[in-house]
Amino acid sequence: MKKYLAMILAMVMVLALAACGSAAPAASEQAPAGDSGKTVKIGVLVADVSGEEALGFANYYRNYIQSNYNVEFSYTEQLADAAAEKAAIEKFAAQGYDAIISFSASDRATQLQTCIDNGLYYAVASGMLDDAQYEQFKTSEYFVGQIGPSMDTEYEAGYAMGKYFADQGAKKIAMYGAFIPNPMHVFRAAGVLAGIGATYGGASEKDAIVGQIFADQGIDLKKVESKDVELAGYFQGFGDTTFDELFACIGAQPDAFLSVGMATTFFTQNLNDAGIAFSDIDSFTSANGEAMADGKLVYLAGKYSSSIGPVFAAVLNAVNGTPVRDDEGNAISLSQDYLVATDADSFQKYAAADQGDSPIFSKEVLDTIIGDVSYADFSAAVAADRG
Amino acid sequence: MNKSISAAKKLTGALAIPVIFAAVLLILCAANGKSMIANRTGFNYFVLYTAIVMLTTMALSINLNSGRFDFSLGSMAVLASVLSSRISYAMLQGGPGSAAAMLLLGILIGALLGLASGALYVTLRIPPIIASLGVTLIFEGLTFTLTGGKYVMTEVRNASISAFAGNWIWSLLVIAAALFIVIWLFDHTKFGYDYNALKNGQKVAVNTGVREVPNALVCYAICGALMGAVGFLQVARSNSINGGSLNFASISIMFTAFLPMFIGGYIGRYVNEKAGYLLAALCMSMLNSTFAAFSNEVSASAQSIINAVLLVLFLIWLSNERRLKQILRPIRS
Repeated sequence: MKKYLAMILAMVMVLALAACGSAAPAASEQAPAGDSGKTVKIGVLVADVSGEEALGFANYYRNYIQSNYNVEFSYTEQLADAAAEKAAIEKFAAQGYDAIISFSASDRATQLQTCIDNGLYYAVASGMLDDAQYEQFKTSEYFVGQIGPSMDTEYEAGYAMGKYFADQGAKKIAMYGAFIPNPMHVFRAAGVLAGIGATYGGASEKDAIVGQIFADQGIDLKKVESKDVELAGYFQGFGDTTFDELFACIGAQPDAFLSVGMATTFFTQNLNDAGIAFSDIDSFTSANGEAMADGKLVYLAGKYSSSIGPVFAAVLNAVNGTPVRDDEGNAISLSQDYLVATDADSFQKYAAADQGDSPIFSKEVLDTIIGDVSYADFSAAVAADRG
Repeated sequence: MNKSISAAKKLTGALAIPVIFAAVLLILCAANGKSMIANRTGFNYFVLYTAIVMLTTMALSINLNSGRFDFSLGSMAVLASVLSSRISYAMLQGGPGSAAAMLLLGILIGALLGLASGALYVTLRIPPIIASLGVTLIFEGLTFTLTGGKYVMTEVRNASISAFAGNWIWSLLVIAAALFIVIWLFDHTKFGYDYNALKNGQKVAVNTGVREVPNALVCYAICGALMGAVGFLQVARSNSINGGSLNFASISIMFTAFLPMFIGGYIGRYVNEKAGYLLAALCMSMLNSTFAAFSNEVSASAQSIINAVLLVLFLIWLSNERRLKQILRPIRS
């Protein structure tokens, strides 16, 4: 009996320890035969494992890129903070990975420094370093670059969304600030406030609003002043009280619910059921298409899933010894714009152009920027309008 | 005459706390131009939250009243909801009847998980608090493995579950059914008599022939079934299941039931204790709706602090009730 008990206890311990492992790299997929000898191993840092955008990105890398190139992607679990990001990079390094692509933004400077310390190439695929950080690291050989919406682009996306609803005649709105103080969400939220014609703490300029939101670690409704559009409710984050806050916003009966990220993941059903028009900054996935065609999603500023193709190409070039650098030898820094859909037709136009087996950044397109390619050609390929 | 005075006293005692809660919170809302329940949607979620708190409180109290502290209740609810959502989706693809199927499966799976938890406790004979910590980690680990740490969404987003959440009658039916079954089980069956005997004097009860182990196992199974239902209700409320709860993150579900358990226990002096849990859940739901109305002014962390302060104040009142009554007596007279 004692022997059995000991065995059961041992099994319990093993299961518990397995469950408690923090941010360990998930099991990686087997890469098919590629076009070069050595399989390039890339670790992907993610802070979101469930969102529509995140799933679209993961499908593109795992299903399309991995089947067309001799590359192996390993995704982390959901990274909650800077310590988890650092630990994940160190685990990838210990397992002989070649590079890191980051979608996680808790502390990019530490991520980059950890990669440099461990001899891993590093690229940012979502968001960007701030100017000071870019200046600090731009000449490091391990910093491949950053390709994605710049903070100015994030602000403009928020501004356009806010202005759209103001122009549509919305008099009362509610807002979800996603994961402020994530810089990307801060800039978007600042844009929304400016877009609806509001001031924040008396400020109407981008930098002043952004600075105050960072300082407040959120939006304080008492500091919002707007002549035409009332901000009747605001909440951010995702925790035990999130749905209470959402229901309070719904109870305020706003004309529209504006989100700077993740609302399509968390709240689509509730907002559809409540009959409240909503918007988000996310991506052109099938679930969002359904929400726009049959639900109350009326505005989506999005990326298409294969928009992260160029950052993969840049990483592959760096690993293969042909890094793309600008004329001064600096790492890549290119901004990508959002596409905006306000009805099912415009949504379908973008979604149809980026199908799983025929993405916008297909193998044919990526092959033009893989190898020994100039910065000008690379940036031209990224900037080309494929929407 | 005496009987009617006694009934009036009972009624006053039972309703005093809910009425005070309602009065204070309504005045607070009115003074700030807010409404606790703004519309029909707000009322639907009010009743749904009442059901969640009442069932969780019952599940917590069943074992805790017998000296068995069970940390695993939250993880049981999450794992039961993941499994029941997967199975019901495989059966019905989110079509009509999905909500009923998920609820029934959740109760069944929850009961089995509870039974497994209880079996571990009675087999290992280690303190229940330690056993439940281990079970929590195992259930959280299983949930994480099944979901890959992702939110479960596709399986729980359908018209059937929306319809459940969108009509308070369904939540009320769950409350009524749970209340009826739990009162019947614990107050009108042999199992219930044995449970009460064990609760009030374990040694004496065992010496008179009450079998403790089977009784404990049934208690765990009932707690599991209640938490299986809570898992479904949580899904109806949030349209998703967080599959990434690790390192005791699911324990917070259980902690929502502490204050209502003590309030319900106090009200239980005047009416049936289970009805006390319903009234206590009503109080918590009013508090929750008020927090929601003030969500722009009171942050989530501030709400947690207020809840903790209320719990401490209530415990202080319970511990010093006699002394406080003595102090208040001259003022009353």
